[in-house]
Amino acid sequence: MRPDRIVIAIAAAAMLLAGRPAAAQAPPAAPPQSLEELAARLRQLQTDLATLTGSAGTPAGTATDGHAGTATSIEALRGELDELDQRIRVLGRQIEIDKEAAVEKAKTTPVVVASPEGFQLKSADNNFQLRLRGYVQSDGRFYPGNDGPIVADEFLLRRVRPLLEGTLFKFVDFRLMPDFGGGTTVLQDAYLDLKFSPAFKLRTGKFKSPLGLERLASALDIPFVERAYPTSIVANRDVGVLLFGDVAKTTVAYALGVVNGATDGGSLDVDDRDGKDVVGRVFVQPFKNGDNEGLKQLGFGIAGSNGTQRGTILTPNLPTIRTSGQQIFFRYRTDATAEGTTFADGAHWRVVPQAYYYNGPLGLLTEYVAASQAVRRDEQTARIGSSAWQLTGTWVLTGEKGSYRGVAPTHPFDTKSGALGAFELTARYHVLEIDDKAFPVFANPTAAARSAKAWAAGVNWYLNRAVKIQADYEQTHFEGGATTGDRKTANEILTRFQVGF
Amino acid sequence: MRDRIQAAVIAAALIVLAAGVRADNTVTLLNVSYDPTRELYQEINAAFAAQWKAKTGQTVTINQSHGGSGKQARSVIDGLEADVVTLALAYDVDAVSTIGKLIAPGWQKRLPSNSAPYTSTIVLLVRKGNAKGIKDWDDLVRPGVSVVTPNPKTSGGARWNYLAAWGFALKKYGNDPAKAKDFVAKLYKNVPVLDSGARGATTTFVERGIGDVLIAWENEALLAVEKLGREKVQIVVPSTTILAEPPVAVVDKVVDRRGTRKVAEAYLQFLYSPQGQEIGAKNYYRPRLDEVRAKYAQRFPAVPTFTIDEVFGGWTKAQSTHFADGGIFDQIYQPGS
Repeated sequence: MRPDRIVIAIAAAAMLLAGRPAAAQAPPAAPPQSLEELAARLRQLQTDLATLTGSAGTPAGTATDGHAGTATSIEALRGELDELDQRIRVLGRQIEIDKEAAVEKAKTTPVVVASPEGFQLKSADNNFQLRLRGYVQSDGRFYPGNDGPIVADEFLLRRVRPLLEGTLFKFVDFRLMPDFGGGTTVLQDAYLDLKFSPAFKLRTGKFKSPLGLERLASALDIPFVERAYPTSIVANRDVGVLLFGDVAKTTVAYALGVVNGATDGGSLDVDDRDGKDVVGRVFVQPFKNGDNEGLKQLGFGIAGSNGTQRGTILTPNLPTIRTSGQQIFFRYRTDATAEGTTFADGAHWRVVPQAYYYNGPLGLLTEYVAASQAVRRDEQTARIGSSAWQLTGTWVLTGEKGSYRGVAPTHPFDTKSGALGAFELTARYHVLEIDDKAFPVFANPTAAARSAKAWAAGVNWYLNRAVKIQADYEQTHFEGGATTGDRKTANEILTRFQVGF
Repeated sequence: MRDRIQAAVIAAALIVLAAGVRADNTVTLLNVSYDPTRELYQEINAAFAAQWKAKTGQTVTINQSHGGSGKQARSVIDGLEADVVTLALAYDVDAVSTIGKLIAPGWQKRLPSNSAPYTSTIVLLVRKGNAKGIKDWDDLVRPGVSVVTPNPKTSGGARWNYLAAWGFALKKYGNDPAKAKDFVAKLYKNVPVLDSGARGATTTFVERGIGDVLIAWENEALLAVEKLGREKVQIVVPSTTILAEPPVAVVDKVVDRRGTRKVAEAYLQFLYSPQGQEIGAKNYYRPRLDEVRAKYAQRFPAVPTFTIDEVFGGWTKAQSTHFADGGIFDQIYQPGS
């Protein structure tokens, strides 16, 4: 081997070693000028390598053995260089093997994630997952011009919901969500999903009934502090069995189930009657997978329920309907006597056509509910119809895209950078009407309004994915519901500070 | 109105259900195998898929997973859904059976030749010129000889390598286990790096240029010679070596759950067919069928071999004595030593 090749090889070895932490601190060496210098440099490299690999000295059988540190011949240097070359190759290969082992280990090591979506613990293959999420909504309700104990301004914790979700054995999902809002404890969601395929999933437990479009949106994502009137006459949560899934390349979502049958706007945990409700919903997003961005977030569908609802004098199983500020403006007669109490007594159905459309910063959501409930008061019976609709518009001022699932700020609020998050303006009009047949026998016309028509405007400030501040003003006009004339117009200011993850 | 709503909901549901149901005449299998069988099963899979399609009309796709045999067995026990395992040694299949409870006992008797459709042996691969003059196992313990072999803790092939060396030492030193232990300890002192599988060790020797000699499966050594050429590497057949019998088995619980038993069993039986044996021999695995063995006699020279049952009393005993935690391998090999 020629000396210049040895110099090149040693220089290459030195460069390799220079990449290691210990050698990185040493200044670059000048090229060796003689065989003795080469030998000295080679030994230094061997020492450095031994230090790096944690081995002591040079291994037996190397060229240095026969030269006792005085190797000056080309042949001896060649032997030492080969030895050094092998050791560097081994070191490099060991690093490769360690990396491969790390990759293999990562495939089986459980993963802990803390992200805007919450805290998560999952197996490496994702077959087992546990997600801890939750949200708190701290509201303010103010009633300008309505002073007094009945409609007192107040602050309250509207929703306080820790949320535990997970996956077991890959195909079983679960969700458990209590609510401590308002100082009471309610089990909102508790269900298991068996996932046979994206098109076939079976849900059992307590869950949102697949009816109202706005009801099915998460409370974190609704554009106003409170949902509109159509939500008041569809079921909230129900207990039962639901087959659901996405078909046609996820452009069609369907749900079909059998549930106990909750009252309008209500939730149900137990049922003391045999009659069950059939609920179903089909929702189509025909352009979801297409190229036309302007149509991707167009969705429409229809939902319905059919069953029987029966109540008693003590548990009438009939709805109480409130304004967005939670002022009651309609309820059936009730005084805990057979003569004076109206209760559910038979067929109960709902039909709910619904649609939304989001394009860029603009969004529209609309739904209509037609419902009918057979009722009884003493010997008198009737089928009382009710209907409600809403049209809600949203406009994101800061350029983000609007969606059914809320707004994700492009530039989250940050005092250092001056980023403000996202701002959204909202407006809606919503109407609820009760069948004239309800009055005066089944509902008191001097206390219960026949209809409510409300308009509202608001602003939402999304500081980031987790924090939202809302402020709404809503004005509601009533027909009936007072001793003389119409119930006084309700003016309500609602605010919310929301943290959800 | 009510009846119409009910009918509409039910009709919609039926349409959705119908859309989700699809007739399917395809099936997939997962073959979890050991490290150097990639090329073998690529060819086997294509041939079997064609035969199965012609025979049944069904399209079968066979996915492969390769790694150190012990590690692969552990993956199957831990949930990797293998329809069949084709591992380096019976002990690893036994582990899937006894620890994982995934394969019924007596699996080795279900197929001919103890469920080992082909055999191999352990040889030495050296660089052109054989600069260190390696001729037999005892050359590997000389100072200054760098030996490449994978980790017996994770690799089935490595366990065969280890036992082949041990068997040689027993023979050389008159069945003295202490001397055999000392011999193997010296050998592993000359091992600079332990890969997790046989293919990794081949990479270390062939591609990374590490070591003077690779202890390898015969098939892996022949493949290296074919790919690199005789001008770069050459095979040294030792004076004695071990007969390796890599077994295959259907993973009962998986095939029963997935409904793939019939095709999985046919897949393994195909390995014993003349076509399967021919493919095995082409890929340097010693065939069982006489006519195929005769055809490839030149490729597979006669080598004096011993079996694991003869020298070590079977895999279970060999495993507990040599490779279990605290066993002889742990005593003689310290990482970094």
